[in-house]
Amino acid sequence: MARLALRNLSRNRRRTVLSAGIVALGCALSLVVLGFVERSRSLIQETTVQQFGNLQIADPEFLDGKAEGFAYLVSPAVRAQVEGLVRLERGVVGTTAQLALSGLLAVRRTTAVVRAVGVVPENNILDYNDLVIDGRGLKPGDVGAVLVGQTLANELGLQPGDFVNLTATTVAGAFNVSPLEVVGLFQFSSAEVERAQVFVPLSFAQLLLATEGVDRIVVRLDRLGRTSAAARAIGARLRAAGLALEVRTWDVLSPFYRGLSGFFDLLFGFLVAAVFTLVFFIVLQILTLSFLERTREVGTIRALGTRQGEVFRLFVEESLWLGLVGGGVGALIGIGISLLFNAAKIPWQPPGTVQTVTLGVDFTATAILIPFLVSVFSTLASALLPAYQATRVSVVDALRAV
Amino acid sequence: MQQGSFCYVAGTPVIEAQGLTKFYTLGKETVRALDRVDFTATQGDFAVINGPSGSGKTTLLNMFALIDRPSEGEVLFEEKPTSRLTEGELALLRREKIGLVFQTFNLIPVLSVAENVEYPLLLTKTPRAERRERVAARLDEVGLSGFERRRPDELSGGQRQRVAVARALVTEPRAVLADEPTANLDSGTGKQIMELLQGLNRDHCVTFLVVTHDPSVVGYAQRVLTIRDGRIQGEEKRGAPGPA
Ligand SMILES: Nc1ncnc2c1ncn2[C@@H]1O[C@H](COP(=O)(O)OP(=O)(O)OP(=O)(O)O)[C@@H](O)[C@H]1O
Ligand SMILES: [Mg+2]
Repeated sequence: MARLALRNLSRNRRRTVLSAGIVALGCALSLVVLGFVERSRSLIQETTVQQFGNLQIADPEFLDGKAEGFAYLVSPAVRAQVEGLVRLERGVVGTTAQLALSGLLAVRRTTAVVRAVGVVPENNILDYNDLVIDGRGLKPGDVGAVLVGQTLANELGLQPGDFVNLTATTVAGAFNVSPLEVVGLFQFSSAEVERAQVFVPLSFAQLLLATEGVDRIVVRLDRLGRTSAAARAIGARLRAAGLALEVRTWDVLSPFYRGLSGFFDLLFGFLVAAVFTLVFFIVLQILTLSFLERTREVGTIRALGTRQGEVFRLFVEESLWLGLVGGGVGALIGIGISLLFNAAKIPWQPPGTVQTVTLGVDFTATAILIPFLVSVFSTLASALLPAYQATRVSVVDALRAV
Repeated sequence: MQQGSFCYVAGTPVIEAQGLTKFYTLGKETVRALDRVDFTATQGDFAVINGPSGSGKTTLLNMFALIDRPSEGEVLFEEKPTSRLTEGELALLRREKIGLVFQTFNLIPVLSVAENVEYPLLLTKTPRAERRERVAARLDEVGLSGFERRRPDELSGGQRQRVAVARALVTEPRAVLADEPTANLDSGTGKQIMELLQGLNRDHCVTFLVVTHDPSVVGYAQRVLTIRDGRIQGEEKRGAPGPA
């Protein structure tokens, strides 16, 4: 019977090629789009993680932006304890710490309110030296050094080598001022960040605030897929140790990513639904005609003793082959297009991120399997109604059909 | 298989019609295609149902073939009533016990000659080796050994009808029913097909019911029933069948 189903596909080659081609087109199209969406998503994931680390551990009120005073600061002892606990977790590459402060940046007669983020220079976990486009990044021996965003540098007329003053309030409430050398300029996807944020060595931030504390501990993991499990495990360790600190994952820290990811899902879902609705109706049309043409043959095989269910199965099997062939060819075409696309190495700067990346299409098993399975199932679905109709005709009427 | 042996169970009823009546309603008009037909075909019969166009021959044969149901009356197959059987049960009965030959051959165009003959054996789930053996034997019988791999469209009309005859016999049915099997063939080829059917009827002890309005076919029958306006007009029994 499988033989008959297969042979029936060879009956009208042009029509079979047409319907398999439509299925293949739908499959290829959604494979490329899904692969593209997946690659873009993972690029954005990577760049988001480059901005935030995989996990951040801090005072919950501080994370929610509700902290008052400096009670949220993590003392060196607690920091060491946390880092010790974190390192027990599998897949942890390392940790670093940050201390951010609000201050007034003064150059000659102009001032600007900035958020200065104190980072450990060249820490390999999360520094921002790769954003530098002019001058140099922060180095381990630096104290009075600052990276200024491009936009702010333009507004204030700053260049690498210039000096600025940064004024802030210490944890004790006193004013503190210190000169800084602009060692480099950085670029960021958002002009807002380029205008309002600067990077200084952690030691400088601590000096200016007159504290030894940090506001957050950043954790880097070896794999993105580990993030939520690691977050849960580390959270449990912190609670067990009686520390009132919270673990936040990168996707929560970046609301932008969450919005974008949801948007991608929606976009892809909509596109695939549209493509396969179209495929469904075209193939339905073709199969209806194809099955109808064989009414007399249905009459013959039923007269020979083929049951209605067996005839139905025959048609469905035929469409299954059609779907498998169409989907398979479509997957191959999709992979081919993706390879060409990947070879073209088109540069792109994902929104909300900093680095320019190369656009591409991912070939994960899911990115191939989903379009393939959807092709097969939509072809099968197209066959159900015409196959059912073909079996409903009475044998005598079917035999009299021309 | 009772090849070559005489038909020792002759006399056993295979298909019986009891008061078969069939109405067709076309708008307000009711056509009585069959009118209280009684008939019994026994094992080994070679019966021809003869009558003019529109007399109800096809209608009657379709009832015997269990692909159509009467409006009134009953068809008994192997002495068992069939009117209460479901479509599925009728299909099972057809695949195992009835062979059909159509006027237009009705081969499956995408299957080869051998595959067409094999088709009913796939329905009866006959083991592969036995299928091969039986297909070869039937094709040999109808004189088409060597044509196994041909497609139906590569055969002449007579050859196609031979394939159809082989297909009808391959499951060793109790009855072979043929509706105008020679109507689409020239007279010489038609004669060959009738001789083939006659020989097979003798060899296999299968009941043959052939519908025709071709007088030359009538000569092959042991029994000739004449039907007119849906009624059996009479029956002629012939001792020694032969070509007219
Ligand atoms: N499906 C149908 N609907 C309506 N009337 C029908 C139908 N099938 C047959 N008839 C009518 O029933 C009568 C008998 O038809 P049937 O086909 O049995 O005749 P026949 O003897 O086989 O004729 P022919 O020699 O032309 O094949 C005819 O009057 C025909 O018009
Ligand atoms: Mg007829």
